[in-house]
Amino acid sequence: MSKVVATLTDEVAPETRATAAQAADAEGSAARRILGSTGLRILAGVVLLAIWQFGVTLFAPAYIATPLNTVKRIPAVFADPAFGADVQTTLLAIIEGLAIAVVIGTLVGLVMGRLPDVNRVLGMYVGTFYAMPLIAVVPLLTVWFGYTPEARLAMVVLEAVLPIVYNVAEGARLVPTNFLDVTKIHHAPWWRVWGGVVLPNALPYVLAGLDLAIGRALIGAVVAEFVTAIPGLGYYLLFNVRSFHENEAMVALLVLVAFALVLRALINLAISRGFRWYRPA
Amino acid sequence: MTSGGDTKIRVDGLEKRFGDRVVFSGVTFDVHEGEVVSIVGPSGCGKTTLLRCAVGLARPSGGEVRIGGETVVDPPEGVAMVFQHFGLFPWKTVTANIAYGLTVRGMAKREAAPKVAALIKLVGLEGFEKSYPYQLSGGMQQRAGLARALAIEPSVLVMDEPFAALDAQTRDVLQLELLRIWDTRQAAMMFVTHSIDEAVLMGDRIVILRGRPSSIFDIVDVGIPRPRDRSAVDSERFRVVRDYVWRAVMQDAELATAERPADTDAIRVTH
Repeated sequence: MSKVVATLTDEVAPETRATAAQAADAEGSAARRILGSTGLRILAGVVLLAIWQFGVTLFAPAYIATPLNTVKRIPAVFADPAFGADVQTTLLAIIEGLAIAVVIGTLVGLVMGRLPDVNRVLGMYVGTFYAMPLIAVVPLLTVWFGYTPEARLAMVVLEAVLPIVYNVAEGARLVPTNFLDVTKIHHAPWWRVWGGVVLPNALPYVLAGLDLAIGRALIGAVVAEFVTAIPGLGYYLLFNVRSFHENEAMVALLVLVAFALVLRALINLAISRGFRWYRPA
Repeated sequence: MTSGGDTKIRVDGLEKRFGDRVVFSGVTFDVHEGEVVSIVGPSGCGKTTLLRCAVGLARPSGGEVRIGGETVVDPPEGVAMVFQHFGLFPWKTVTANIAYGLTVRGMAKREAAPKVAALIKLVGLEGFEKSYPYQLSGGMQQRAGLARALAIEPSVLVMDEPFAALDAQTRDVLQLELLRIWDTRQAAMMFVTHSIDEAVLMGDRIVILRGRPSSIFDIVDVGIPRPRDRSAVDSERFRVVRDYVWRAVMQDAELATAERPADTDAIRVTH
């Protein structure tokens, strides 16, 4: 039997073995590939910006934004305390809305995914809301909430909650039967089934839904500001475009894009770091 | 027949239908205390469903299962299961997975820790206590699955094709490991497999399912004494039993139950 035990320890996790060999082999070519593709990406960006720059200077009126003028305006815009306040209020509203949407979306998604009866009742409505251009709802929200930050928050939550519900419901539905068998065999109480098995199984889906929700949340916040004219980045952008300060408006747009990219990067980091165990079925 | 012990599990006239389709019907057999009953049959014959009905994970459409004299409705206490695809929680470490049954039963960490450590040693997972399932090979994952089942010191252990997802070598190693572990901790065991060799190697008796809807074709006494090891497969008795079971499962039309290997008396020496 001692021979058997010896063979056992030889069962090394396959992943460790493969990565070590591949890493040594592929290091050189991988570095070259990454450099090459990064170079191409930068080149493509420069070409596009150049077309924009020269296109505007050659064929368009002077108040149309150009890349160079936008960059030149950045220090002045950032030094303006009013702009700082606008950035703060809009970004905080987006974060707050996303946080509310994650909580509601996760709860609704878990219940919809696990309880077919609830899914039959709610599924159609969630699907309808998902298909609906929610922008059309903003005027209604202004009636219900007034021209207030609450209307913006409601819009952000509405936009963000739907992809989270969808993804979480999928994650909750896909809990392997084996996992539930284990909980039944061991007589796990309901809170251990939901909190200890269904929720952890759905967590990668929560983050995937959140990833999709970010873009929609931004749209929601900006559109709400366009319609309600409450202070924020969206209104700053609208106001500056209408007063022919296009370059300033572009700076506001850049801030929004940078914010979205940072949020998405954080989420992807969380997925790759926190959910190494996750393997899509 | 075996002189193993009292009846632990009684499967009585069990039937399962999905809609109009009858999966199996009239399935009746006993599992005695400390006995291993292998269940073989062609794929799709309802072996896994039978097992799930037996432990209360699925409702039978007819008949009943009694474990320790009690009719099974929900999984009774003292039942543990090992799954084909391991069923380990991927977000829990090996230690936490093995301790699951104990944790759920409210056992304090301090009390569970030495038990879990002993199990990790028993199944040969030392050094992988803090690993996650995805970091382990299939064989190692099933070791953890086995340890989780053993942790609650089950009186009934059901195994659903536990080695079917593993490569041939790992399967051989784990079969022998299970035989070794089996000698130290005994429970009434139902062992579902589609491997006839495995059924003979593991089982004291073999329930052969066949037909559509399937029903029991025969129940064979393996009659190879325990403790068993690899040498069991070289014995004449192993060959004879395997041959009979193979022909039965393959629906050999000319096979008559009269040809079955004679029951032997000296199946188990002690206990």
